[in-house]
Amino acid sequence: MYFDWITWSIWLVGFIIMIIWILVPAREFRRLLQKRRSEQSELNK
Amino acid sequence: MITIDYIIVFVFLIGMFYVGSIFYKWVGSSDDFYLAGRQLTPFILAAVLAATNVNLYSFVGQAGIAYKEGIQIIWQTWTGNMAMVISGLFVIPIFRRLRIRTIPEFLEKRYSKGVRTFVAFIWILRLTFWLGVVLYTAVIAAQTISGLTSFTAWVLIFSVVVIIYTILGGMWSVAFTDVIQFVLMLGGALILLPLAMSAVGWFPGMQANLPEGALTLVKETGTYNWKFILAIFLLGIEWACVDQGLLQRAFGAESTRSVAKGLVLAGIITTPFALLWNLPGLAARILYPDLANADSAVPILIANLIPNIVLGLVVVGLLSSQLSTISGNLNGVATIFASDVYENVINRKATDKDVLKIARIITLLTGIGMVLFAYLVPILGGAVNAYLTIIAIMDMPLFVISIIYGLLWKRVNWQGAVTGYILGAISGIIGQFLFKMDFNVTTFITAGTTLIVTPIISLLTREESNEKIEAIWKARIISDEEIVNNNVYNIFPKTISGKLSLAVFLLGLIIFLVGVFMGSSGSSIASVIAVTGMVIYFIGGLFRAYTN
Repeated sequence: MYFDWITWSIWLVGFIIMIIWILVPAREFRRLLQKRRSEQSELNK
Repeated sequence: MITIDYIIVFVFLIGMFYVGSIFYKWVGSSDDFYLAGRQLTPFILAAVLAATNVNLYSFVGQAGIAYKEGIQIIWQTWTGNMAMVISGLFVIPIFRRLRIRTIPEFLEKRYSKGVRTFVAFIWILRLTFWLGVVLYTAVIAAQTISGLTSFTAWVLIFSVVVIIYTILGGMWSVAFTDVIQFVLMLGGALILLPLAMSAVGWFPGMQANLPEGALTLVKETGTYNWKFILAIFLLGIEWACVDQGLLQRAFGAESTRSVAKGLVLAGIITTPFALLWNLPGLAARILYPDLANADSAVPILIANLIPNIVLGLVVVGLLSSQLSTISGNLNGVATIFASDVYENVINRKATDKDVLKIARIITLLTGIGMVLFAYLVPILGGAVNAYLTIIAIMDMPLFVISIIYGLLWKRVNWQGAVTGYILGAISGIIGQFLFKMDFNVTTFITAGTTLIVTPIISLLTREESNEKIEAIWKARIISDEEIVNNNVYNIFPKTISGKLSLAVFLLGLIIFLVGVFMGSSGSSIASVIAVTGMVIYFIGGLFRAYTN
Protein backbone atom coordinates (compact mmCIF):
# COMPACT_ATOMS: atom_id res chain seq x y z
CA MET A 1 0.00 0.00 0.00
CA TYR A 2 1.28 3.45 -0.90
CA PHE A 3 2.27 5.69 2.03
CA ASP A 4 1.91 9.41 1.31
CA TRP A 5 4.42 11.22 3.52
CA ILE A 6 3.12 14.69 2.68
CA THR A 7 -0.51 14.01 3.59
CA TRP A 8 0.31 12.11 6.76
CA SER A 9 2.85 14.74 7.91
CA ILE A 10 0.14 17.42 7.62
CA TRP A 11 -2.27 15.06 9.39
CA LEU A 12 0.20 14.37 12.21
CA VAL A 13 0.83 18.09 12.82
CA GLY A 14 -2.94 18.64 13.02
CA PHE A 15 -3.33 15.66 15.35
CA ILE A 16 -0.57 16.87 17.70
CA ILE A 17 -2.19 20.33 17.85
CA MET A 18 -5.52 18.66 18.68
CA ILE A 19 -4.00 16.64 21.55
CA ILE A 20 -2.17 19.70 22.99
CA TRP A 21 -5.37 21.75 22.81
CA ILE A 22 -7.29 19.04 24.67
CA LEU A 23 -4.75 18.69 27.48
CA VAL A 24 -3.52 22.25 28.15
CA PRO A 25 -6.85 24.17 28.15
CA ALA A 26 -8.38 21.39 30.32
CA ARG A 27 -5.64 22.01 32.89
CA GLU A 28 -6.07 25.78 32.64
CA PHE A 29 -9.87 25.61 33.04
CA ARG A 30 -9.45 23.31 36.06
CA ARG A 31 -7.11 25.90 37.59
CA LEU A 32 -9.62 28.70 36.92
CA LEU A 33 -12.38 26.61 38.51
CA GLN A 34 -10.30 25.97 41.64
CA LYS A 35 -9.39 29.66 41.87
CA ARG A 36 -13.05 30.60 41.59
CA ARG A 37 -14.11 28.07 44.21
CA SER A 38 -11.51 29.35 46.67
CA GLU A 39 -12.65 32.94 46.02
CA GLN A 40 -16.27 31.90 46.64
CA SER A 41 -15.40 30.14 49.91
CA GLU A 42 -13.45 33.24 51.02
CA LEU A 43 -16.55 35.35 50.36
CA ASN A 44 -18.79 32.94 52.26
CA LYS A 45 -16.63 33.03 55.39
CA MET B 1 -27.29 11.37 6.64
CA ILE B 2 -29.06 8.57 8.49
CA THR B 3 -30.75 8.52 11.91
CA ILE B 4 -27.55 7.78 13.84
CA ASP B 5 -25.87 10.86 12.28
CA TYR B 6 -28.77 13.06 13.38
CA ILE B 7 -28.54 11.56 16.88
CA ILE B 8 -24.81 12.47 17.00
CA VAL B 9 -25.63 16.05 15.95
CA PHE B 10 -28.47 16.24 18.50
CA VAL B 11 -26.26 14.94 21.33
CA PHE B 12 -23.62 17.53 20.36
CA LEU B 13 -26.16 20.38 20.51
CA ILE B 14 -27.49 19.21 23.89
CA GLY B 15 -23.90 18.95 25.15
CA MET B 16 -23.09 22.47 23.95
CA PHE B 17 -26.26 23.80 25.58
CA TYR B 18 -25.31 22.13 28.86
CA VAL B 19 -21.66 23.22 29.03
CA GLY B 20 -22.52 26.68 27.72
CA SER B 21 -25.25 27.34 30.26
CA ILE B 22 -23.39 26.13 33.38
CA PHE B 23 -21.33 29.33 33.12
CA TYR B 24 -24.43 31.40 33.92
CA LYS B 25 -23.27 31.40 37.55
CA TRP B 26 -19.85 32.74 36.56
CA VAL B 27 -21.28 36.02 35.24
CA GLY B 28 -21.42 38.40 38.17
CA SER B 29 -20.49 41.64 36.42
CA SER B 30 -20.50 43.14 32.95
CA ASP B 31 -16.74 42.51 32.69
CA ASP B 32 -17.45 38.80 33.22
CA PHE B 33 -20.00 38.93 30.40
CA TYR B 34 -17.78 40.86 27.96
CA LEU B 35 -14.31 39.60 28.78
CA ALA B 36 -14.56 36.49 30.99
CA GLY B 37 -13.33 38.66 33.85
CA ARG B 38 -10.02 39.15 31.97
CA GLN B 39 -8.81 35.70 33.03
CA LEU B 40 -8.19 33.93 29.71
CA THR B 41 -4.87 32.09 29.55
CA PRO B 42 -2.73 31.90 26.36
CA PHE B 43 -3.79 28.42 25.20
CA ILE B 44 -7.48 29.08 25.88
CA LEU B 45 -7.19 32.44 24.09
CA ALA B 46 -5.47 30.80 21.09
CA ALA B 47 -8.23 28.19 20.72
CA VAL B 48 -10.93 30.86 21.10
CA LEU B 49 -9.30 33.04 18.42
CA ALA B 50 -8.79 30.12 16.05
CA ALA B 51 -12.38 28.93 16.56
CA THR B 52 -13.75 32.44 15.95
CA ASN B 53 -11.67 32.92 12.79
CA VAL B 54 -12.44 29.55 11.19
CA ASN B 55 -16.05 29.03 10.16
CA LEU B 56 -18.02 27.15 7.57
CA TYR B 57 -17.08 29.83 5.04
CA SER B 58 -13.53 28.46 5.23
CA PHE B 59 -14.69 24.95 4.29
CA VAL B 60 -17.14 26.23 1.67
CA GLY B 61 -15.97 29.57 0.25
CA GLN B 62 -12.19 29.36 0.51
CA ALA B 63 -12.12 25.66 -0.42
CA GLY B 64 -14.45 26.56 -3.31
CA ILE B 65 -11.92 29.08 -4.62
CA ALA B 66 -9.17 26.44 -4.25
CA TYR B 67 -11.41 24.11 -6.30
CA LYS B 68 -11.77 26.71 -9.05
CA GLU B 69 -8.42 28.54 -9.06
CA GLY B 70 -5.86 26.47 -7.13
CA ILE B 71 -4.11 26.38 -3.76
CA GLN B 72 -2.98 30.06 -3.81
CA ILE B 73 -6.11 31.26 -1.97
CA ILE B 74 -4.66 29.61 1.17
CA TRP B 75 -2.54 32.77 1.57
CA GLN B 76 -5.73 34.56 2.63
CA THR B 77 -5.60 32.49 5.83
CA TRP B 78 -1.82 32.20 6.08
CA THR B 79 -1.12 35.94 5.77
CA GLY B 80 -4.00 36.58 8.20
CA ASN B 81 -2.20 34.28 10.64
CA MET B 82 1.06 36.15 10.06
CA ALA B 83 -0.79 39.42 10.67
CA MET B 84 -2.09 38.11 14.02
CA VAL B 85 1.53 37.67 15.10
CA ILE B 86 2.31 41.31 14.20
CA SER B 87 -0.73 42.69 16.01
CA GLY B 88 -0.17 40.34 18.96
CA LEU B 89 3.45 41.36 19.46
CA PHE B 90 3.25 45.09 18.71
CA VAL B 91 -0.28 46.56 18.73
CA ILE B 92 -2.89 44.78 20.86
CA PRO B 93 -0.71 44.71 24.03
CA ILE B 94 -1.05 48.53 24.05
CA PHE B 95 -4.86 48.25 23.93
CA ARG B 96 -4.84 45.59 26.66
CA ARG B 97 -2.88 47.95 28.94
CA LEU B 98 -5.59 50.59 28.53
CA ARG B 99 -8.12 48.00 29.84
CA ILE B 100 -10.61 48.90 27.11
CA ARG B 101 -13.39 46.62 25.85
CA THR B 102 -13.87 47.81 22.26
CA ILE B 103 -12.09 49.75 19.52
CA PRO B 104 -14.74 52.54 19.67
CA GLU B 105 -13.82 52.97 23.35
CA PHE B 106 -10.20 53.55 22.30
CA LEU B 107 -11.37 56.11 19.74
CA GLU B 108 -13.05 58.12 22.50
CA LYS B 109 -9.86 58.08 24.57
CA ARG B 110 -7.83 59.15 21.55
CA TYR B 111 -10.25 61.49 19.74
CA SER B 112 -13.78 62.20 20.94
CA LYS B 113 -17.08 60.71 22.09
CA GLY B 114 -18.67 61.38 18.68
CA VAL B 115 -16.10 59.24 16.87
CA ARG B 116 -16.77 56.44 19.36
CA THR B 117 -20.54 56.44 18.81
CA PHE B 118 -20.24 56.71 15.01
CA VAL B 119 -17.84 53.77 14.68
CA ALA B 120 -19.85 51.73 17.22
CA PHE B 121 -23.00 51.98 15.08
CA ILE B 122 -21.11 50.97 11.95
CA TRP B 123 -19.71 47.90 13.71
CA ILE B 124 -23.10 46.84 15.14
CA LEU B 125 -24.66 46.95 11.67
CA ARG B 126 -21.79 45.24 9.89
CA LEU B 127 -21.34 42.38 12.37
CA THR B 128 -25.06 41.58 12.51
CA PHE B 129 -25.38 41.56 8.73
CA TRP B 130 -22.15 39.62 8.26
CA LEU B 131 -23.40 36.98 10.72
CA GLY B 132 -26.54 36.64 8.59
CA VAL B 133 -24.51 36.15 5.41
CA VAL B 134 -22.28 33.53 7.05
CA LEU B 135 -25.34 31.74 8.47
CA TYR B 136 -26.90 31.64 4.98
CA THR B 137 -23.69 30.13 3.53
CA ALA B 138 -23.60 27.56 6.33
CA VAL B 139 -27.23 26.52 5.81
CA ILE B 140 -26.70 26.01 2.06
CA ALA B 141 -23.64 23.83 2.77
CA ALA B 142 -25.47 21.83 5.45
CA GLN B 143 -28.37 21.16 3.05
CA THR B 144 -25.93 19.74 0.47
CA ILE B 145 -24.10 17.54 2.98
CA SER B 146 -27.08 16.15 4.87
CA GLY B 147 -29.91 15.84 2.39
CA LEU B 148 -32.15 17.59 4.95
CA THR B 149 -33.34 20.42 2.71
CA SER B 150 -35.45 22.52 5.10
CA PHE B 151 -33.84 25.98 5.28
CA THR B 152 -35.63 26.81 8.54
CA ALA B 153 -34.61 23.54 10.22
CA TRP B 154 -30.92 24.28 9.63
CA VAL B 155 -31.30 27.94 10.66
CA LEU B 156 -32.72 26.72 13.98
CA ILE B 157 -29.98 24.08 14.42
CA PHE B 158 -27.30 26.71 13.82
CA SER B 159 -28.76 29.50 15.92
CA VAL B 160 -31.06 28.52 18.82
CA VAL B 161 -28.60 26.75 21.11
CA VAL B 162 -25.75 29.17 20.49
CA ILE B 163 -27.92 32.25 21.13
CA ILE B 164 -29.19 30.80 24.43
CA TYR B 165 -25.80 29.90 25.87
CA THR B 166 -24.23 33.18 24.73
CA ILE B 167 -27.02 35.09 26.52
CA LEU B 168 -26.60 33.06 29.70
CA GLY B 169 -22.84 32.80 30.10
CA GLY B 170 -21.48 35.62 27.94
CA MET B 171 -17.77 35.43 27.24
CA TRP B 172 -17.24 32.62 29.77
CA SER B 173 -19.57 30.36 27.77
CA VAL B 174 -18.05 31.54 24.50
CA ALA B 175 -14.53 30.74 25.73
CA PHE B 176 -15.31 27.28 27.09
CA THR B 177 -17.47 26.12 24.18
CA ASP B 178 -14.96 27.60 21.68
CA VAL B 179 -12.16 25.43 23.06
CA ILE B 180 -14.32 22.29 22.75
CA GLN B 181 -15.51 23.34 19.29
CA PHE B 182 -11.95 24.05 18.12
CA VAL B 183 -10.95 20.47 18.99
CA LEU B 184 -14.10 19.06 17.34
CA MET B 185 -13.66 20.98 14.08
CA LEU B 186 -9.99 20.03 13.92
CA GLY B 187 -11.04 16.40 14.51
CA GLY B 188 -13.64 16.59 11.73
CA ALA B 189 -11.07 18.03 9.32
CA LEU B 190 -8.57 15.30 10.27
CA ILE B 191 -11.15 12.66 9.27
CA LEU B 192 -11.81 14.43 5.96
CA LEU B 193 -8.19 14.88 4.76
CA PRO B 194 -7.03 11.24 4.38
CA LEU B 195 -10.39 10.19 2.88
CA ALA B 196 -10.21 12.98 0.29
CA MET B 197 -6.54 12.34 -0.54
CA SER B 198 -6.94 8.56 -0.89
CA ALA B 199 -9.87 9.10 -3.28
CA VAL B 200 -7.60 10.95 -5.73
CA GLY B 201 -4.52 8.70 -5.38
CA TRP B 202 -2.82 10.74 -2.63
CA PHE B 203 -0.39 13.54 -3.46
CA PRO B 204 1.12 12.04 -6.65
CA GLY B 205 -2.40 11.48 -7.98
CA MET B 206 -3.24 15.07 -7.18
CA GLN B 207 -0.13 16.39 -8.97
CA ALA B 208 -0.84 14.26 -12.04
CA ASN B 209 -4.52 15.15 -12.38
CA LEU B 210 -4.77 18.83 -11.45
CA PRO B 211 -4.33 21.61 -14.03
CA GLU B 212 -0.80 22.99 -14.24
CA GLY B 213 -0.02 25.50 -11.49
CA ALA B 214 -2.93 24.49 -9.24
CA LEU B 215 -0.46 23.39 -6.55
CA THR B 216 2.00 26.31 -7.00
CA LEU B 217 1.75 28.50 -3.90
CA VAL B 218 3.35 31.66 -5.37
CA LYS B 219 2.37 32.26 -8.99
CA GLU B 220 3.43 34.85 -11.54
CA THR B 221 0.03 35.12 -13.22
CA GLY B 222 -3.63 34.40 -12.49
CA THR B 223 -6.16 35.97 -10.12
CA TYR B 224 -4.32 34.92 -6.98
CA ASN B 225 -0.75 35.73 -8.01
CA TRP B 226 2.18 37.18 -6.02
CA LYS B 227 0.58 40.65 -5.96
CA PHE B 228 -2.53 39.18 -4.35
CA ILE B 229 -0.35 37.75 -1.55
CA LEU B 230 1.14 41.18 -0.78
CA ALA B 231 -2.24 42.95 -0.91
CA ILE B 232 -3.99 40.37 1.25
CA PHE B 233 -1.11 40.51 3.76
CA LEU B 234 -1.60 44.28 4.16
CA LEU B 235 -5.37 43.80 4.47
CA GLY B 236 -4.70 41.07 7.02
CA ILE B 237 -2.62 43.42 9.17
CA GLU B 238 -5.47 45.94 9.08
CA TRP B 239 -7.98 43.20 10.04
CA ALA B 240 -5.83 41.84 12.88
CA CYS B 241 -5.53 45.32 14.41
CA VAL B 242 -9.16 46.55 14.28
CA ASP B 243 -11.52 43.55 14.05
CA GLN B 244 -13.81 43.64 17.08
CA GLY B 245 -14.43 39.87 16.97
CA LEU B 246 -10.69 39.28 17.33
CA LEU B 247 -9.77 42.17 19.62
CA GLN B 248 -12.42 41.53 22.23
CA ARG B 249 -11.10 38.00 22.78
CA ALA B 250 -7.62 39.44 23.22
CA PHE B 251 -8.88 42.04 25.72
CA GLY B 252 -10.07 39.11 27.86
CA ALA B 253 -6.48 37.89 28.32
CA GLU B 254 -5.18 37.62 31.88
CA SER B 255 -2.15 39.85 31.17
CA THR B 256 -0.43 41.88 28.46
CA ARG B 257 2.04 39.06 27.84
CA SER B 258 -0.81 36.54 27.50
CA VAL B 259 -2.19 38.67 24.65
CA ALA B 260 1.09 38.26 22.77
CA LYS B 261 1.33 34.53 23.50
CA GLY B 262 -2.33 33.84 22.65
CA LEU B 263 -2.30 35.67 19.31
CA VAL B 264 1.00 34.12 18.18
CA LEU B 265 -0.20 30.62 19.12
CA ALA B 266 -3.53 31.23 17.32
CA GLY B 267 -1.68 32.21 14.14
CA ILE B 268 0.55 29.14 14.32
CA ILE B 269 -2.20 26.55 14.92
CA THR B 270 -4.47 27.88 12.18
CA THR B 271 -1.69 27.58 9.57
CA PRO B 272 -1.58 23.76 9.12
CA PHE B 273 -5.36 23.73 9.74
CA ALA B 274 -5.87 25.75 6.52
CA LEU B 275 -4.44 22.84 4.50
CA LEU B 276 -7.12 20.55 5.94
CA TRP B 277 -9.91 22.34 4.06
CA ASN B 278 -8.02 23.58 0.98
CA LEU B 279 -6.59 20.18 -0.03
CA PRO B 280 -10.08 18.57 -0.03
CA GLY B 281 -11.16 21.50 -2.25
CA LEU B 282 -8.44 20.50 -4.73
CA ALA B 283 -9.39 16.82 -4.45
CA ALA B 284 -12.97 17.75 -5.36
CA ARG B 285 -11.59 19.39 -8.53
CA ILE B 286 -10.36 15.97 -9.70
CA LEU B 287 -13.41 14.00 -8.55
CA TYR B 288 -16.13 16.45 -9.70
CA PRO B 289 -14.51 18.73 -12.30
CA ASP B 290 -17.66 20.32 -13.75
CA LEU B 291 -19.57 21.75 -10.80
CA ALA B 292 -21.52 24.90 -11.66
CA ASN B 293 -21.15 26.24 -8.12
CA ALA B 294 -17.63 25.94 -6.68
CA ASP B 295 -18.95 26.58 -3.16
CA SER B 296 -20.64 23.19 -3.24
CA ALA B 297 -17.36 21.32 -3.96
CA VAL B 298 -16.39 20.32 -0.42
CA PRO B 299 -20.00 19.74 0.77
CA ILE B 300 -20.53 17.34 -2.18
CA LEU B 301 -17.18 15.67 -1.44
CA ILE B 302 -18.20 15.15 2.20
CA ALA B 303 -21.66 13.85 1.27
CA ASN B 304 -20.20 11.30 -1.18
CA LEU B 305 -16.95 10.21 0.47
CA ILE B 306 -17.66 10.00 4.16
CA PRO B 307 -19.42 6.91 5.50
CA ASN B 308 -22.40 7.26 7.84
CA ILE B 309 -21.72 7.58 11.60
CA VAL B 310 -18.35 9.15 10.70
CA LEU B 311 -20.40 11.67 8.69
CA GLY B 312 -22.20 12.66 11.90
CA LEU B 313 -18.82 13.42 13.51
CA VAL B 314 -17.65 15.50 10.54
CA VAL B 315 -20.94 17.46 10.54
CA VAL B 316 -20.42 18.11 14.26
CA GLY B 317 -16.98 19.49 13.37
CA LEU B 318 -18.47 21.76 10.70
CA LEU B 319 -21.26 22.86 13.07
CA SER B 320 -18.59 23.64 15.67
CA SER B 321 -16.73 25.91 13.28
CA GLN B 322 -19.93 27.87 12.71
CA LEU B 323 -21.25 28.04 16.28
CA SER B 324 -17.96 29.38 17.62
CA THR B 325 -17.96 32.20 15.06
CA ILE B 326 -21.59 33.08 15.82
CA SER B 327 -21.13 33.09 19.61
CA GLY B 328 -18.01 35.26 19.50
CA ASN B 329 -19.55 37.87 17.24
CA LEU B 330 -22.91 37.92 19.08
CA ASN B 331 -20.95 38.70 22.22
CA GLY B 332 -18.99 41.35 20.29
CA VAL B 333 -22.12 43.18 19.13
CA ALA B 334 -23.63 43.04 22.65
CA THR B 335 -20.45 44.50 24.10
CA ILE B 336 -20.29 47.36 21.61
CA PHE B 337 -23.94 48.26 22.11
CA ALA B 338 -23.97 47.98 25.91
CA SER B 339 -20.60 49.64 26.41
CA ASP B 340 -20.35 52.20 23.59
CA VAL B 341 -23.99 53.13 23.02
CA TYR B 342 -26.09 52.31 26.11
CA GLU B 343 -23.62 53.19 28.88
CA ASN B 344 -22.04 56.01 26.92
CA VAL B 345 -25.02 57.75 25.27
CA ILE B 346 -28.44 56.42 26.33
CA ASN B 347 -28.13 55.93 30.10
CA ARG B 348 -24.97 57.34 31.63
CA LYS B 349 -26.14 56.57 35.17
CA ALA B 350 -26.68 52.89 34.43
CA THR B 351 -25.65 50.45 37.13
CA ASP B 352 -23.59 47.38 36.26
CA LYS B 353 -26.75 45.28 36.65
CA ASP B 354 -28.59 47.45 34.09
CA VAL B 355 -25.72 47.12 31.62
CA LEU B 356 -25.59 43.35 32.04
CA LYS B 357 -29.33 43.10 31.38
CA ILE B 358 -29.03 45.26 28.25
CA ALA B 359 -26.07 43.18 27.01
CA ARG B 360 -28.19 40.02 27.28
CA ILE B 361 -31.18 41.62 25.52
CA ILE B 362 -28.90 42.86 22.72
CA THR B 363 -27.40 39.38 22.33
CA LEU B 364 -30.93 38.05 21.76
CA LEU B 365 -31.87 40.86 19.34
CA THR B 366 -28.62 40.43 17.38
CA GLY B 367 -29.32 36.70 17.12
CA ILE B 368 -32.81 37.45 15.75
CA GLY B 369 -31.29 40.04 13.37
CA MET B 370 -28.78 37.43 12.14
CA VAL B 371 -31.60 34.97 11.37
CA LEU B 372 -33.65 37.62 9.54
CA PHE B 373 -30.65 38.67 7.44
CA ALA B 374 -30.01 35.01 6.55
CA TYR B 375 -33.53 34.87 5.05
CA LEU B 376 -32.94 38.19 3.25
CA VAL B 377 -29.68 37.16 1.54
CA PRO B 378 -31.25 35.31 -1.43
CA ILE B 379 -33.82 38.13 -1.84
CA LEU B 380 -31.17 40.87 -1.87
CA GLY B 381 -28.92 39.05 -4.37
CA GLY B 382 -26.16 41.32 -5.67
CA ALA B 383 -26.90 43.95 -3.01
CA VAL B 384 -25.29 41.66 -0.44
CA ASN B 385 -21.95 41.81 -2.24
CA ALA B 386 -22.20 45.57 -2.58
CA TYR B 387 -22.90 45.94 1.14
CA LEU B 388 -20.02 43.63 2.13
CA THR B 389 -17.70 45.56 -0.18
CA ILE B 390 -18.68 48.91 1.34
CA ILE B 391 -18.02 47.74 4.90
CA ALA B 392 -14.71 46.22 3.80
CA ILE B 393 -13.78 49.58 2.25
CA MET B 394 -14.55 51.34 5.55
CA ASP B 395 -12.09 49.16 7.47
CA MET B 396 -8.97 50.71 6.01
CA PRO B 397 -9.62 54.34 7.08
CA LEU B 398 -10.46 53.02 10.57
CA PHE B 399 -7.07 51.27 10.67
CA VAL B 400 -5.28 54.45 9.57
CA ILE B 401 -6.89 56.72 12.18
CA SER B 402 -6.83 54.25 15.07
CA ILE B 403 -3.53 52.43 14.60
CA ILE B 404 -1.21 54.45 12.34
CA TYR B 405 -2.08 57.98 13.52
CA GLY B 406 -3.82 56.94 16.75
CA LEU B 407 -0.74 55.30 18.21
CA LEU B 408 2.10 57.03 16.37
CA TRP B 409 1.36 60.77 16.11
CA LYS B 410 -0.14 62.88 18.90
CA ARG B 411 -0.80 65.92 16.72
CA VAL B 412 -3.65 64.22 14.85
CA ASN B 413 -6.96 65.36 16.38
CA TRP B 414 -10.60 64.32 16.06
CA GLN B 415 -11.34 66.80 13.26
CA GLY B 416 -8.58 65.25 11.13
CA ALA B 417 -9.59 61.71 12.05
CA VAL B 418 -13.28 62.17 11.18
CA THR B 419 -12.57 64.01 7.90
CA GLY B 420 -9.93 61.45 6.90
CA TYR B 421 -12.22 58.54 7.76
CA ILE B 422 -15.20 59.88 5.79
CA LEU B 423 -13.25 61.10 2.73
CA GLY B 424 -11.22 57.87 2.68
CA ALA B 425 -14.40 55.78 2.68
CA ILE B 426 -16.03 57.96 -0.01
CA SER B 427 -12.95 57.77 -2.28
CA GLY B 428 -12.98 53.98 -1.94
CA ILE B 429 -16.69 53.70 -2.72
CA ILE B 430 -16.31 55.97 -5.80
CA GLY B 431 -13.30 53.95 -7.02
CA GLN B 432 -15.06 50.65 -6.49
CA PHE B 433 -18.51 51.39 -7.87
CA LEU B 434 -18.04 54.31 -10.29
CA PHE B 435 -14.69 53.36 -11.82
CA LYS B 436 -15.08 49.59 -11.26
CA MET B 437 -11.56 49.29 -9.87
CA ASP B 438 -10.13 46.08 -8.45
CA PHE B 439 -10.75 45.77 -4.69
CA ASN B 440 -7.01 45.67 -3.91
CA VAL B 441 -6.52 48.97 -5.79
CA THR B 442 -9.50 50.51 -4.00
CA THR B 443 -7.92 49.60 -0.66
CA PHE B 444 -4.74 51.51 -1.50
CA ILE B 445 -6.74 54.55 -2.70
CA THR B 446 -8.77 54.54 0.52
CA ALA B 447 -5.66 54.24 2.69
CA GLY B 448 -3.84 56.93 0.69
CA THR B 449 -6.73 59.41 0.97
CA THR B 450 -7.01 58.95 4.74
CA LEU B 451 -3.23 59.09 5.19
CA ILE B 452 -3.07 62.46 3.36
CA VAL B 453 -6.31 64.16 4.51
CA THR B 454 -6.05 63.35 8.23
CA PRO B 455 -2.78 65.21 8.99
CA ILE B 456 -3.68 68.20 6.77
CA ILE B 457 -7.00 68.82 8.56
CA SER B 458 -5.34 68.16 11.94
CA LEU B 459 -2.62 70.75 11.28
CA LEU B 460 -5.25 73.29 10.17
CA THR B 461 -7.26 72.85 13.39
CA ARG B 462 -6.47 73.22 17.08
CA GLU B 463 -4.01 70.87 18.74
CA GLU B 464 -5.49 68.75 21.49
CA SER B 465 -3.47 67.41 24.35
CA ASN B 466 -5.01 65.92 27.41
CA GLU B 467 -4.53 63.27 30.07
CA LYS B 468 -6.25 60.61 27.97
CA ILE B 469 -3.74 60.95 25.13
CA GLU B 470 -0.89 60.93 27.65
CA ALA B 471 -2.31 57.68 29.10
CA ILE B 472 -2.23 56.12 25.61
CA TRP B 473 1.37 57.19 25.11
CA LYS B 474 2.31 55.68 28.48
CA ALA B 475 0.57 52.42 27.50
CA ARG B 476 2.96 52.10 24.56
CA ILE B 477 5.67 51.33 27.13
CA ILE B 478 4.17 49.79 30.28
CA SER B 479 1.12 49.67 32.57
CA ASP B 480 0.74 49.86 36.36
CA GLU B 481 -0.97 46.45 36.25
CA GLU B 482 2.20 44.85 34.85
CA ILE B 483 4.41 46.51 37.49
CA VAL B 484 2.14 45.39 40.35
CA ASN B 485 1.97 41.81 39.03
CA ASN B 486 5.69 41.83 38.18
CA ASN B 487 4.87 40.53 34.70
CA VAL B 488 6.18 43.19 32.32
CA TYR B 489 5.98 42.69 28.55
CA ASN B 490 8.38 44.85 26.55
CA ILE B 491 7.15 45.51 23.01
CA PHE B 492 10.76 46.20 22.08
CA PRO B 493 12.86 43.52 23.79
CA LYS B 494 15.53 44.27 26.38
CA THR B 495 17.23 40.90 26.87
CA ILE B 496 19.59 39.14 24.45
CA SER B 497 17.15 36.26 23.91
CA GLY B 498 14.33 38.72 23.22
CA LYS B 499 16.41 40.67 20.71
CA LEU B 500 17.58 37.46 19.05
CA SER B 501 14.01 36.18 18.66
CA LEU B 502 12.93 39.53 17.19
CA ALA B 503 15.83 39.25 14.71
CA VAL B 504 14.70 35.73 13.70
CA PHE B 505 11.14 37.04 13.30
CA LEU B 506 12.31 39.88 11.02
CA LEU B 507 14.60 37.53 9.07
CA GLY B 508 11.61 35.25 8.45
CA LEU B 509 9.56 38.22 7.25
CA ILE B 510 12.31 39.25 4.81
CA ILE B 511 12.72 35.70 3.44
CA PHE B 512 8.92 35.45 3.03
CA LEU B 513 8.81 38.75 1.10
CA VAL B 514 11.80 37.71 -1.07
CA GLY B 515 9.96 34.48 -1.93
CA VAL B 516 6.80 36.38 -2.86
CA PHE B 517 8.72 38.86 -5.06
CA MET B 518 10.55 35.95 -6.74
CA GLY B 519 7.09 34.82 -7.83
CA SER B 520 6.95 37.92 -10.06
CA SER B 521 9.50 36.33 -12.40
CA GLY B 522 7.87 32.90 -12.29
CA SER B 523 10.73 31.40 -10.23
CA SER B 524 10.26 27.71 -9.51
CA ILE B 525 11.63 28.02 -5.95
CA ALA B 526 9.54 31.10 -4.99
CA SER B 527 6.93 28.99 -3.16
CA VAL B 528 9.51 27.06 -1.11
CA ILE B 529 11.29 30.27 -0.08
CA ALA B 530 8.04 32.06 0.87
CA VAL B 531 6.84 29.12 3.00
CA THR B 532 10.29 28.73 4.63
CA GLY B 533 10.23 32.43 5.47
CA MET B 534 6.76 32.06 6.98
CA VAL B 535 7.88 29.15 9.20
CA ILE B 536 10.98 31.07 10.42
CA TYR B 537 8.73 34.09 11.05
CA PHE B 538 6.38 32.01 13.23
CA ILE B 539 9.28 30.48 15.18
CA GLY B 540 10.77 33.95 15.83
CA GLY B 541 7.34 35.30 16.82
CA LEU B 542 6.74 32.43 19.25
CA PHE B 543 10.09 32.90 21.01
CA ARG B 544 9.52 36.66 21.05
CA ALA B 545 6.20 36.23 22.90
CA TYR B 546 7.91 34.06 25.53
CA THR B 547 11.04 36.22 26.04
CA ASN B 548 11.59 39.72 27.44
